[in-house]
Amino acid sequence: MNAGDQYPNPRAAQDMPPGSPSMLPPGASLGPQHGPMPPPPAPNGPSMPSVVPIGARAEQAFDPPSGMAWVRVSPKLTWQRRITVLLWALPVTVVGAFVLSRTRGLAGGLIWLAVVLVACAVGWIVAELSYRSWGFAERADDLLVTHGFFVRHLVVVPYGRMQYVDVTAGLLEQWLGVATVRLHTAAAATDARIPGLPARDAAILRDRLAQKGEARSIGL
Amino acid sequence: MNGPYGPGRPPYGPPPRPRFTPPMYGPAPYGYGPPPYGPPPKPPVHFSHGVHRLHMATAVINAVGVVVIAFVLGGYSLLLTQTPDGVALVLTPRIIARFLAVMLPATVVAAAIGFWSWWSLKFWISGDDLVVETGILRRRNRRIPLAHMQAVDVVRPLVSRLFGLAEVRVELAGGDQAETKFRFLGRPPAEQLRAELLARAAGLPGHTPEAPERPYWRVGFGTLLGSQLMKLPVIGALMLLVALLAFGVVFGEPGVLAAALPVLLGLARGVVAPLVMHTNFTAALSPDGLRLRYGLMETRMQTVPPGRVQAVRVVEPVLWRGNGWARIDVTVAGYVGDRQALSSVLLPVAPREVALRMVGLVFPGTNAEAVPLLPAPRSWLAPFRKGEAGTDDRLFVTRRGRVCRRLDVVAHARAQSVRLTAGPFQRLLGLGTVHIDAPPGPVQVAAEDRELGEARAIVESAAGRAHRARATDIRTERWAR
Repeated sequence: MNAGDQYPNPRAAQDMPPGSPSMLPPGASLGPQHGPMPPPPAPNGPSMPSVVPIGARAEQAFDPPSGMAWVRVSPKLTWQRRITVLLWALPVTVVGAFVLSRTRGLAGGLIWLAVVLVACAVGWIVAELSYRSWGFAERADDLLVTHGFFVRHLVVVPYGRMQYVDVTAGLLEQWLGVATVRLHTAAAATDARIPGLPARDAAILRDRLAQKGEARSIGL
Repeated sequence: MNGPYGPGRPPYGPPPRPRFTPPMYGPAPYGYGPPPYGPPPKPPVHFSHGVHRLHMATAVINAVGVVVIAFVLGGYSLLLTQTPDGVALVLTPRIIARFLAVMLPATVVAAAIGFWSWWSLKFWISGDDLVVETGILRRRNRRIPLAHMQAVDVVRPLVSRLFGLAEVRVELAGGDQAETKFRFLGRPPAEQLRAELLARAAGLPGHTPEAPERPYWRVGFGTLLGSQLMKLPVIGALMLLVALLAFGVVFGEPGVLAAALPVLLGLARGVVAPLVMHTNFTAALSPDGLRLRYGLMETRMQTVPPGRVQAVRVVEPVLWRGNGWARIDVTVAGYVGDRQALSSVLLPVAPREVALRMVGLVFPGTNAEAVPLLPAPRSWLAPFRKGEAGTDDRLFVTRRGRVCRRLDVVAHARAQSVRLTAGPFQRLLGLGTVHIDAPPGPVQVAAEDRELGEARAIVESAAGRAHRARATDIRTERWAR
């Protein structure tokens, strides 16, 4: 692989010789000892107009690291979300329908019921979509977590940066036998949590992460 | 070799230059040492040995505080009597006796509280830890690993300055409870404690004299005043105030005062408060880190040891650019909540080159200006918002803002995590935002609206560079060893 290969645009290759600081380093420079290779750089330079359909790239951006697959969470997460939706819908329906049928008559109550039903249906579908969006991958030096259906997220947390890991399980989660693993770093913005893991797996994952964090721990 | 903050004791590599200067024997030459008249100076306190308490005056100050509260809450009303003309202050023996009957026990209680609060706090240095013990009946023992210390401040509020006292604050990373205050110590002991804590944290013996410092920059009052006035919101508020007053005078309408008052208060908050806070701002470099001194009413001496700055922002408001001024905000992990607002400025105003050189000192061996920046792609949705981002092996830099230009810098070695987010609109346009997460603070670095494929590549490269940077990062916990 020579420099020309890394920069398809020959001018870019001249402007930025290999090894010079650049936005888009050659993937090879990460070295094999740092875990699996990251995906190859996008076919085009960073600021050049794209010829690949945008949709395809947008999906690739949240792909698992090359050579790995996202570890998916338990499908019980879907049911956890759905039950939550129902638990919210029940009082909202009763109170809203009661108030509206008093003020607007029976029609008002029925319309309210229909609105809540539609909202429930949307929640039902979103629960499934959101469950499918969750995934994590343990690389040699960092943990990748992806989630989000409307707003997509990808978080890369180095093990050495983890302050602590905790496992939480609410009442509903306990009943379903799942738990949430949450990673804390010194940055509050790091929102790395993995919900809907079977309780045993969650405990094992927590111990493994804590162990890896301990081995690579550094100060701030 | 240059130390992290300029020449001095090199932190690593070559053996440190001894900081300990041998004591001078025999009579000091003329012009050196203490003056031969006056009372002999007290021997300096060494905090490395023995158990220490706060200054005795702390008890008195606390007691006076309690007495004042008691007076305002209860004692004051006892002095007043209801007369036919209204409430009046009539001092008859009976009223004075009644007043004293309440206030004397209150004073005794206050004295006891003051003494108790002074007596119950003890601190000492044990090994690499600072130990603070509070309480007598319920003892609470807190060990502070000095290696994790983020900053040491010596604060002198106006009242304590009158008594020659100072407060020492030790900042640790980890939330609101992570601050340890010593209020109050005498001024020389406070500075001695600070020096000893820093020496200990650096891995040197505690009796090491304070590291020498080199002045770096001093902000003149005129510059500070000008910089505070030359801001668009301030000028807008001033114009509004003038317009309101002119309207009031022309039409003889005193009602505008009701509108002018909030504007005036806003100006006081936005101009006078920072002005008073940052008066006499000096930044100095020492092997123990950056030393900042500032304040008119309340003086602060802040020391940020090497490697404690997490992220830096160079701000250039549009009106400052004519003068080439810039301000530096920083995120230091220790400062949380309102302490953050008080201590997040590294330079309130300085020429741009000076500010950028300061950034180079904070992240040694880097040059934020030299990092090549690439603009984010323009799109029909956001034709004007065009941030730039770039990275080299040490730094991640973004620049954004057309009116108020901001340059955000974070070192890869300090990054906590890397995130890629893409909202629904962004995904429609194939864009995403890359965040390089730093501990909570005024500076949060994000490369906004990058093309998604590129964004993922940035994430991967940042993660890899952060890993390598951490591996090669000079350990800053014991910066002198």
